Amino acid sequence: MNPAITVKELRKAYRYSRRRRGAPNGPLRALAGLFNPDIVEVEAVAGVSFTVAAGERVAVIGPNGAGKSTTLKMLSGVLEPSAGAADVLGFTPWRQRRALAYEIGVVFGQRSQLWSELPVRDSFSLLRRIYDQPEGACRRRRDALIERFGVGEVLDQPAGRLSLGQRMRCEIVASLLHAPRLLFLDEPTIGLDVTAKAAIRDFVREQSLNEGQTVVLTSHDTRDIELVCERVIVINAGRIVLDRPIADLRRFIARKLVTLQSQAPTLALELPGVARRPAEPHTTILEIDTRRTRVDVVIAAALALGGIEDVTVEDPPMEEVVHEIYAALDK
Amino acid sequence: MRSTPRWTSRPIETLLAELGAMAASFRAGLGAAVAAWPVLLGRAIFYGVCLMVLTAFWDKVGSQRLSGAFALRLPPQGLATYVGVTEWVTLSVPAIQLKLEDDIRGGALEAQLLKPKFYLAQAIAGQAGGMAARLLVLGAAALALLAVSGRAWPSAGGIAAAAVLGVVGAAIGVLLYGLVGLTAFWIRRVLPALLIVQKLMFLLGGLFAPISLYPDWLRIPATLSPFGAHLAFAGQAVIGLSVADFWRALALQAFWLAALSLIAVLVWRAGLAKTLKAGVS
Repeated sequence: MNPAITVKELRKAYRYSRRRRGAPNGPLRALAGLFNPDIVEVEAVAGVSFTVAAGERVAVIGPNGAGKSTTLKMLSGVLEPSAGAADVLGFTPWRQRRALAYEIGVVFGQRSQLWSELPVRDSFSLLRRIYDQPEGACRRRRDALIERFGVGEVLDQPAGRLSLGQRMRCEIVASLLHAPRLLFLDEPTIGLDVTAKAAIRDFVREQSLNEGQTVVLTSHDTRDIELVCERVIVINAGRIVLDRPIADLRRFIARKLVTLQSQAPTLALELPGVARRPAEPHTTILEIDTRRTRVDVVIAAALALGGIEDVTVEDPPMEEVVHEIYAALDK
Repeated sequence: MRSTPRWTSRPIETLLAELGAMAASFRAGLGAAVAAWPVLLGRAIFYGVCLMVLTAFWDKVGSQRLSGAFALRLPPQGLATYVGVTEWVTLSVPAIQLKLEDDIRGGALEAQLLKPKFYLAQAIAGQAGGMAARLLVLGAAALALLAVSGRAWPSAGGIAAAAVLGVVGAAIGVLLYGLVGLTAFWIRRVLPALLIVQKLMFLLGGLFAPISLYPDWLRIPATLSPFGAHLAFAGQAVIGLSVADFWRALALQAFWLAALSLIAVLVWRAGLAKTLKAGVS
């Protein structure tokens, strides 16, 4: 089977001008900067190479500024690389952007592809025309997606008036209306509630398994990665530092942090797969290996002790996950 | 579940698909403007207030004893209908420069570039849909105001000519403001460019006074400029325009429509090339 994505030594450097050190202030500086700018080059992606097989679900993770989004933008065609080559479904993305657009669906968590002033229903209709979709097939697909994501009630509201959760569900529907072969998801669950996150993860996974859709995902939510993807590419400082099956990395990803505020200064809680992190008195931070102990079991055990005032469950920061992966690699 | 068709390299099919998507954007823009009918109503009221002020001004000017070329060129029925037409066009043209500025500077352009159709054409078509609603509503308001004002009606031919030249002039306005919006590729805020275009619109477009009143050294460049094609021709139609002048005006408008479209495409390409290299803001 042909790979869906082939990337060879892809690089992206941004150039910008900055004020020269020791340059005088005022009009003279402005004039000097005009004729002799101090150009700085920052390499956001420093030569990445990888392939993604058709139907594969791959997570690209890394700390903020690692180059994940830049890589995705180059692969979707909205950013030209400084050097290197890429083939996405037989297209060179930055040269055949509009042709490739028919084949890919993209969700950038921070950017909306819907028209904020139009009712969602009209946005979907417009997308059908923009992607030249036959009415019948597209309507059936749209209706199925609307039902699946539970957005039927918001169809008559302008996208600009939706809550973040509603909007993201509609964004996913919009990105899938034209039945893309490849899905780029950049932080698709950012800011969503647990139910919405679960709906999106389940659907993306099922869609890929049932229709052979290729998925490339970036997320700071380790559950997105764990539940959707089968392979993880770790990027840092614009370079790929690791490319492994998810099974190899599950011990780093399958973790949760539970923070308990208690009336007692400390809590005597010992469970398998649960480590205690340093914390202030009346605060207990537990790191849970979810492969060994479920979060609800830990919370139930804590509540049984009595005097619990607050509970917070969160993922470990991605920076920490990546750091631990490095540390394990070095050993 | 694939539901083709996909990309085609055949130019006719591509063009038809592009026009089909533009028509859909136009309908969506029209629908959104009609759905926001209180805004349309508010604009019609504002239009009426503007006309009251401007016609009072021109009635006052008309009642003064004027001398020289100015007095000779002032139309006998006054300028109320002239400003009625130029304001009709001005208040119908969408603020497309703000939409482009928002998309280009706010980052929404990135999501739009991921679609397989020409973004600028889609944006213009969507805004033109809203403009069509405003042209209809303000046009009806103009006729109603003229009826209740008791002023003399222009000839039916003059009204028809103003309607045609006004609609084409409004389309030229969309392109002019669209070009202002495209400067967002290079400048953070398009306001400085907008101010320049608005002043030219005021002066060369004949927003408040027909360019036929101008001295020749200014009248000729104003007539030949896109600003004259945007506003003045339609206004002139209701205060006196021969059939030959009408066709000349329409031909000049067609020229500016084509020229500004070409310029917009070239500017868009330059801006897009910059954006694809440097990334969306």
